[in-house]
Amino acid sequence: MEGRHGQKKEQAESTEALKARQEREAVLVDSKKRDNDALRVTTSLLRKSPDYYTIWNVRRTILQEGFLEGADAETGDKIYSNELEFVQENLKLNPKSYFMWNHRRWCLEHMSNPRWDKELAMVSKFLELDARNCKRYIIRQLDLQDKVSSDKILERAQSEFDYTTTKISQNFSNYSAWHNRSTLLGKLADDMTEEERQATVDNEFDLVKNAIYTDPEDQSAWLYHLWLIGRESRSISILGSSVISFHPLEIVVAFDETVKFVNPPTVSTMVNHLPVPLAGEWKATGTDSTLGTIWIFQQAPGAEYGPTVELVVFEDDVCSFRLGARLHSAVCFELETVEKDLSKISGRLGRLVVGKNLMCDVTKRIGHVPDPDGTLDTQKENRKHTVTSLTTSDSLDDRTALLEREIAVVRELNEIEPDSKWPIQILSMLLSELRQTVRIHSTQAKLLDDECIELQEKLITIDPLRQERYEDRRTQLVFGRETLHLIKDGKRFPEVEFEEDLPPSLDLSMRGLTHIPISAYLVHLHTLNLDSNAITSTRFIRNLLNVRHVNLANNMIKRLEGLQHAPSLEILTLENNLIARWEDVVAGFVFWGEGKLGRTGGHVKVLLGNNPVVENEGGEYVLEKRWEDVGEVGLEIQWKSEELRLAEEALVAAEGVASTSESHMEAIRRVSTTVVEFDAGPGTA
Amino acid sequence: MLPLVNGSSSTLDPLAPELLMDLHVKYIQALDTKKNDLEYWLTEHLRVNGIYWGITALQILGHPEALDQEQIVEYLVKCQHENGGFGGHIDHDTHILSTLSAVQVLITYDRLDAINVDKVVDYVVSLQNEDGSFSGDSWGETDTRFIFCAINCLSLLKRLDDKRLDLPKTIDYIVRCRNFDGGFGSSPGGESHAAQVYVCVGTLTILNALHHIDADQLGWWLSERQLKNGGLNGRPEKLEDVCYSWWVLSSLSMMRRVHWIDAPKLTLFILEAQDTETGGIADRPGNLPDVFHTNFGIAGLSLLGYPGLVAVDPVYCMPRHVIQRIGLDKH
Ligand SMILES: [Zn+2]
Repeated sequence: MEGRHGQKKEQAESTEALKARQEREAVLVDSKKRDNDALRVTTSLLRKSPDYYTIWNVRRTILQEGFLEGADAETGDKIYSNELEFVQENLKLNPKSYFMWNHRRWCLEHMSNPRWDKELAMVSKFLELDARNCKRYIIRQLDLQDKVSSDKILERAQSEFDYTTTKISQNFSNYSAWHNRSTLLGKLADDMTEEERQATVDNEFDLVKNAIYTDPEDQSAWLYHLWLIGRESRSISILGSSVISFHPLEIVVAFDETVKFVNPPTVSTMVNHLPVPLAGEWKATGTDSTLGTIWIFQQAPGAEYGPTVELVVFEDDVCSFRLGARLHSAVCFELETVEKDLSKISGRLGRLVVGKNLMCDVTKRIGHVPDPDGTLDTQKENRKHTVTSLTTSDSLDDRTALLEREIAVVRELNEIEPDSKWPIQILSMLLSELRQTVRIHSTQAKLLDDECIELQEKLITIDPLRQERYEDRRTQLVFGRETLHLIKDGKRFPEVEFEEDLPPSLDLSMRGLTHIPISAYLVHLHTLNLDSNAITSTRFIRNLLNVRHVNLANNMIKRLEGLQHAPSLEILTLENNLIARWEDVVAGFVFWGEGKLGRTGGHVKVLLGNNPVVENEGGEYVLEKRWEDVGEVGLEIQWKSEELRLAEEALVAAEGVASTSESHMEAIRRVSTTVVEFDAGPGTA
Repeated sequence: MLPLVNGSSSTLDPLAPELLMDLHVKYIQALDTKKNDLEYWLTEHLRVNGIYWGITALQILGHPEALDQEQIVEYLVKCQHENGGFGGHIDHDTHILSTLSAVQVLITYDRLDAINVDKVVDYVVSLQNEDGSFSGDSWGETDTRFIFCAINCLSLLKRLDDKRLDLPKTIDYIVRCRNFDGGFGSSPGGESHAAQVYVCVGTLTILNALHHIDADQLGWWLSERQLKNGGLNGRPEKLEDVCYSWWVLSSLSMMRRVHWIDAPKLTLFILEAQDTETGGIADRPGNLPDVFHTNFGIAGLSLLGYPGLVAVDPVYCMPRHVIQRIGLDKH
């Protein structure tokens, strides 16, 4: 039921045949007959219109009530076999008809003795006609057989697997065959010894190598290649945590990727060395507050807490976009609440990694000094790593050797076909995979980063259709390289975390960035320079809880957003961007300070010189906003030039009163227009 | 609520063909007058779906008045059965596909008052299976498409809180349909296909469970659907088709990655599939147009920001202002 495809324009229409059919249909709809006549009418109708699903339903009702009721198993199977023949005959004309396959499935499910071998032989024929519903059908068949016997499944999977081998050897470019191969091998591998698996893997690598050397642009084979190599599952990391407000108590936790809380982590206060849970609410700084890299706990009003507050995040509390990704182990933070100087708080506080039985350990842990590398968990190194999608091994050496071998294969191909896109693309992915296995701050890591970045630049030139995707990937890599110094060095598959001392400013100007990939890395910053990049959105600012100055001059911003959690923001430089409308400036401030974060009052300057808005809205170029009362956020936005603001302040100082009349506002607009005619250049703040 | 209309765009090629808006309106209006054509009869079981495709295209084109609303509502009421579901036409059996289409049309018209909503909910809820998936009707097997239709329908009716539903199981089922390449199939183990990706991403978006999607991985696979001629295919090594403009683009839009394909090239491909004589859009240039591809072609153009078109919602494939009116806007 997906509309009609592939109809050539010269198709003829016949109205004669139509009339007769309409009559028959009328008969059918009224009829309550359950005999051969009725069945014949449906046969005729379904030949003409195989997707007329109601007629299929009628046909099954006729069969059930008129023929199958009371029939013995043998008679029943005969009737179903006739139906299968009917369907098969019609499938030749219309192999894509979903409802035809559906009827076939119904027959097989109801037969007492279905002939699977015949069925699969028949399906194989239709596979050659490229019928998607047919594919769905095969999978269904295999599932159905699960109920029968496991021997049969293996046998069937093996013969299906051999079938994909035949198909692939005829033509490598067969996405369905490669896909089926991966699901079937998954099933078959369950029954193999590790040796057999290894032999199978070697064989598969040979086959896929053959395919990619035959056609380096064959994405089906490449996708299978990637599946075979597999992806290493990396844990979700908590970068750090800190208290950002005392009344009410607010705690921030920074993750290295977007996560969702499955269970809200517990915040407790210590009473007599025992943790007592503190009531409160968790919110992410994301759009809908249920997804984000930065999470903020806000204490419920009125709850008391002692000098030490403890935050515990269990393995199962968070999940991320990556299937199965989770925290490696429970994480516990001890947060001191006696420090009253807010300006000193940034980055992370103490961190302990503890074992599974955390709640038992909590009381014992008081006064415990963690190991130098911050870990107490002896199981940490005992993880099982996947070397390929089919083998399992603990050996890092095996994994590294495999990656290096396959990287060599792809490199060689890339040398023969330097302008072929897929080898470059896969090479870049494998290098990133290898990057996971080396120390964060090592020279090899740096070399791998540099090469991956170069590869993206090459891809941009040879595959312009997907230019922006490569630019986004390049941005991720460059951003990772430029923020590496904020992250502690670590070993393989690290759970990354912040360095002890984080610098308050960061210069990322002129890096060709299209966006900020992991803004949680910047949560501690006071000053961020992003001058002269290709950034299109300010949404990342929502995670910059401490930021005072952001320089986004010479980017591609059209609209301000995400400023709600940045009440510390004082200067936002946006000169030379694409902001065209006043509403697009104001939009950023409507909820400014909504996530109040314990600050009181705010005052931001937004420099807008050389944006289309300057001309469109009458020449003003500085937005000034005072934030005094959360209840009135959005009402106090004033729109005027810096010069005018100074002049106005001088006026108020001289006269001692502030005018609020309409005429005064008009004067502002008029005067400011004049001002800007003299001075609309960038960077005058 | 006023329709949100795409503004003018300076990036359009002045030599490119234009969207023949008036001709498409006429094409859709004429569909119902061809009652004696074989084609009309052969697609009778799709009549209710056809109405949804037709009126949605008209809404996006900014001509909601081009078909008689009263007549359509009256017709749809006749398609509702005692069990609460809708058939594809009067006297046709109920199916989730036609039920969703009927609900979409009635909500677009703000005419849910014309039908028994409780019964629709009963019908859709009755289609949920043990494993969390949904069947298409009381006979049919399950398919991720039917899951999306059911969840979409209940979401539009604001009845996802129905106590009889098990939504965590539905999410689990969808996750089981996910493949290594990031895409989704029609059932667990099924190969990735762009239309199945749309229904799975749509279901997870509605159920607020998008965290089950690896957007970089899936976005990569989806953006590789674009071919040199600008059109999009549904799987590797297959032909391009106008309707994939919608399946691929809406999925990328839900993941905020529409920019990962070349918009001007895709726009051109869709425009070249227009029938310049009769109006309507075909699956690819040179083929016969139909209302299905006309709708998804125009909806795709709207997502691409084609000037003058009413904004479409990428999840529900209905005008954005309608989705805002009923309070389901996620943007
Ligand atoms: Zn199509």
